[in-house]
This record gives sequence, C-alpha cells and structure tokens, in this order.
Amino acid sequence: MVNPLLVLDLVERTGALPVGGTTTVPLGEVAREHETELVALWCERNGNELVGVRDGVATVRRGRSPDPFAELAPDQVPGTRLWIYTNFDCNLACDYCCVRSSPQAARRAVGADKVAQLADEAADAGVSELILTGGEPFLLPDLDDLVAACTARLPTTLLTNAMLFRGRRLQMLQRMHRDRLVLQVSLDSATPELHDRHRGARSWERAVAGIRIAQAEGFRVRVAATLEPERFTELEPFRAFLDTLGIARGDQVIRALAHRGVAESGLELTLESLIPEITVTADGVYWHPVSADHDDHLVTRELFPLRDAIDEVRRRFVEIRARADAAAQWFPCA
Amino acid sequence: MSTPLIIGSVAYTPNVVTIWEGMRDYFAGGPAEMDFVLYSNYGRQVDALLAGHIDIAWNTNLAWVRTVAQTGGECRALAQRDTDTVFQTIFVARAGSALGGLEGLKGRRLALGSQDSAQAAILPVHYLRQAGLTSGGDGGGDVELLRINSDVGKHGDTGRSELDALRAVVEDRADAAALGVNTWEAIGRDELMPGAFEVFWESPTYSHCNFTALPTLDDERVAPWVAQLLAMDFDNPAHRPILEMEGLRQWVLPKLDGYASLFEAVEEQGISPRW
Repeated sequence: MVNPLLVLDLVERTGALPVGGTTTVPLGEVAREHETELVALWCERNGNELVGVRDGVATVRRGRSPDPFAELAPDQVPGTRLWIYTNFDCNLACDYCCVRSSPQAARRAVGADKVAQLADEAADAGVSELILTGGEPFLLPDLDDLVAACTARLPTTLLTNAMLFRGRRLQMLQRMHRDRLVLQVSLDSATPELHDRHRGARSWERAVAGIRIAQAEGFRVRVAATLEPERFTELEPFRAFLDTLGIARGDQVIRALAHRGVAESGLELTLESLIPEITVTADGVYWHPVSADHDDHLVTRELFPLRDAIDEVRRRFVEIRARADAAAQWFPCA
Repeated sequence: MSTPLIIGSVAYTPNVVTIWEGMRDYFAGGPAEMDFVLYSNYGRQVDALLAGHIDIAWNTNLAWVRTVAQTGGECRALAQRDTDTVFQTIFVARAGSALGGLEGLKGRRLALGSQDSAQAAILPVHYLRQAGLTSGGDGGGDVELLRINSDVGKHGDTGRSELDALRAVVEDRADAAALGVNTWEAIGRDELMPGAFEVFWESPTYSHCNFTALPTLDDERVAPWVAQLLAMDFDNPAHRPILEMEGLRQWVLPKLDGYASLFEAVEEQGISPRW
C-alpha cells in the first residue's frame, strides 16, 4: 500500500502555494510507480498538475498550467495553417535562404497527388489556410493543377519571387483561382540595391514587374520582405513604396532574417522560441517553415495521416511551454 | 465613483491576494465598489471590524460567533458560500478500525486540530458531549484528546492542524482524528487511498464562513454589494477562477440556524469572546 503521508504532504505543500506555484514531494523507493500514479490521481481530482517525476521526486503545480493555445492569436494556433514546400529548386540563390534553395538544389517535389491528399486531410483536420512555398513553385510544370487541388479545399497563399510570369508559366498563373488564392511575393526594399545584393542582379526590377502582372491578372498580392533586425527601424520608405504599388498595409509583411539555411547571420531560432507552423516537405513534417531543411526541427517522416502530425506538434508545443513555465518557477536568481 | 466598501479577510494562503484582487476587479465600476485589507488572524480582523476600520469582515464561523458575542447580537451576516451552508466535521480512523460511531472512541485517543478551529476542535468536543462522552487531555474523561495547535489564529483555515491530526493517526499516536469535510475532500476522501482511512461518524451540516457587518453600515451601501455578489456566475469564465479558488459555485444568503451548534459549543466550553 502507498504511504498515506504522501497525500497529506501534497495537500499541505500545495495549500501553501499561490496558484501556478510548484512544490516537490519525495516518493518512496519501494512503491514509486504506485505513488507516482497516486500523485497524478490526486492532482487530477484536485485541479492541480503533476509537472513531472525525476530522481524519485514528484513536482506538482497548484492549479493547472495555463492553456498555451489560449495565449495565441487565432491564426497562430498550431494546425490553423499548413505550409507545404512544393519543391526546393529555385531560379534564384538568395544569400540568406533559410532552406538552401538555388538552381543547383535538388527539386524534392512533394508532387501533385500528395499535395491534393494533404489539402483534403488538412481541411478535414481543421486547417483553415494552405500556404505553398519553395524553392520557386513556378518551376513546377504542373503547379496550376497543384494549386487547383488546394484552392478547391481551402483558401491558399502561394509564395513566389514573381519573376517567371511569362509564356507557359503566365498561362498557369492565369488558370489559378483568383478569389481563393493570394500571391505572396518576396521583395526586400524600395530600391533595387538591397534586394539585388541578396537575391541577384535585376531581381528587384523583375519582381516589381511580376507584382504588376499579377495585379493586372486580378490577383490579390501580398509582399513579404526579409530584413536584418537592425533595419526594422527604417521601414516607412519601404512601406510608402509598397503603397504606390497598391499593396494594402495589411498585405505588407516584414519578417526578420533568420540564421538558418545559408544565412550567415540573423535571429537564432529554436523549437522553444518558435510558435510552430506545421510545414510539410517531401522529406517529412517540420516544426516551422523557417527550418524545413533542418533535422533538428523535423517532427516526423510520415506525412500521413496529417492529423497525427498536427496532434504531435500540438502535444510537443504544450510540453515545451509547460517545461519553460516550470523552469521559470525553478530558477529565480533573486 | 462611490466610496468603496472595505472588506477584511485573513491571509491564510498567498491565493487570498489573488482572490480579493479578483473580487475587487469584479466590483469595479459597479454600484458598490470594494477594496480589501488582509489580516494575519481572525482576532485582529474582528477587532478591526468593531473599531470601524473595515466595513465587512469575511469571517469564519467562530469569528462570527465572537462578533455576535461582542456586539450583543447586533451584527449581521450578509452572505456566504454555498459550501458554507453544508459544512461538516468528519471523524476518521485507520481503515479496519471498526469504531462504529462516536461511542467507539471510549477509551481511545482522538486527535483534534487547532484549538480555534470550529470544525476540527470546538465542534468535535461538542459532538462527543452530545454523545454522552467526556473528554480531556492526558487520559482524562472517556476520550483522550490529542490537541494539535498548528495554525492557531487562522481558525483552521490552513488545514495544517487537521493534516497533522491525520499524521498522528497514521503514526499510531492517535486512534482517530476530527477534521473538516474540506480537508477530507482534499485528501480524496477514502477513495484515493483505499485502506488508509475510514469514516466512522459524520456530523450534521452546519454553517461556516460569512460576510459580517455591523448595524452601522448603511443598507443603501450594503444591498447593491450583496446583490452584485450573488450575481457572480460559475459559468462565466471571468468569474469562475475566483469562485473556484474560494471554493464555491454560488454565493448565497446566510443560513443562520446553521450556527446554533457552534453557539452551544462555545458556551459549553467557556470559549472567550476574544482570542
């Protein structure tokens, strides 16, 4: 039989805590498994939480840890968006590409069939938006079919450098669903110099031309810029330029350069510091699109069933947040 | 903004601050705003109420009885928790003891909680007396009492002395213990640890805490405060955390006849109106 003093200690120690505070109780060596179960049952019954058991000591939180999803904006909740890297090859070789795309990169295409299955399963799993990225998706000969499979199920965003809108690729664009698709074009500056320094000569001029083509074809265009963190203080000239292009302020996305892929500097990102945005590539399911070419952010090699991958990401997110909260409780410096 | 009513409460756990800040927020902007003052013990709080330092005291049942005694019955109870109307004292022994009722305590040792705990000390002695049993320390009387005064001043609110009484049972320093039903619930009754403890007697229900005011407090200030208090809704996510922390689902009007047993116990045991 377990030691009843264990529960008496639990009641006394948690009773003295503020909500959210943690305490520890030692478990006996002989009946440790039963006592762990008893602590878990007691916590469940009294609205508390067993944080964990380590080296024969149970850590208990008074009250339950806050719901980490409740603190997020609705579109940030993991499983709300699904990113799909359609391919990794690209007509550009940007010097900060987070997934090492370039003309020499292997295609590693997910393929139209799997994209269609992902769109189906995503819709069934409660995903509300699909985001297709690469590489440069317009290098794929069947991109229009692939996009159609997505827009048939969910509102979709397609990331592109907008440099290939001519000939057969322009015809593919023209076949896409204007009401269900947003084009997100990469553009880093109001003038060519900075953009071209990272992305290649004349890339700014061709991207701006591409934005105008897409708009003329009736598509909503969003612009996303990747900037060094120190440039965040000088955004207004860039925003003013985007205004002249007719890009709504809400469609002007500015993100910080991440130290990932071939980037030599930028924000250091970890599983703990990123709110996950579930990302599928030909190689597996990843924590976030910024790290979709890095095994440290690989969630699973299994793309299907997609719901399992979503559940796993959500489970890990809760675990990481609980661990961070507990660490904050354990490590006051003063 | 109206002049806020000042509520007194005893700080027996850090959560008291969270609870009363939540209560203050709930009343903010309404017809009867409130603020609060925390005391370290109920004696100090009752003194403050009588001195007019606070308008309303969140009192235990013993603090209520003492306030009644010191005001000649002029004070009034405004409201209480639903759980305060059905409080009980539980007598437990080690599983298998088969004491069968209070009479089974004859010749045995009963562990009691703090001397100022109505549920774990004062009322248990009253129930023994009603059962025809005498009691005292060091073997005096039919039932030997082991008094454990772990949290005097808090009127048993911390539950610490009741847990110590249970420890005395586990360690064979006592044959049985008397505790409040809230502590019995907190350890999971006899469901979480079958084979550890068994209940051999449960008291009738009685009233526990209430909001106490003096007659000098204007009813025009009290009535809207009580009305707003009673309107707190367990199903409202903004109200629920406070209600859960304070241990209730609904504030209710006081059940005054539920204090009769404690008035009798206090008189029988000669407990002074002030501690």
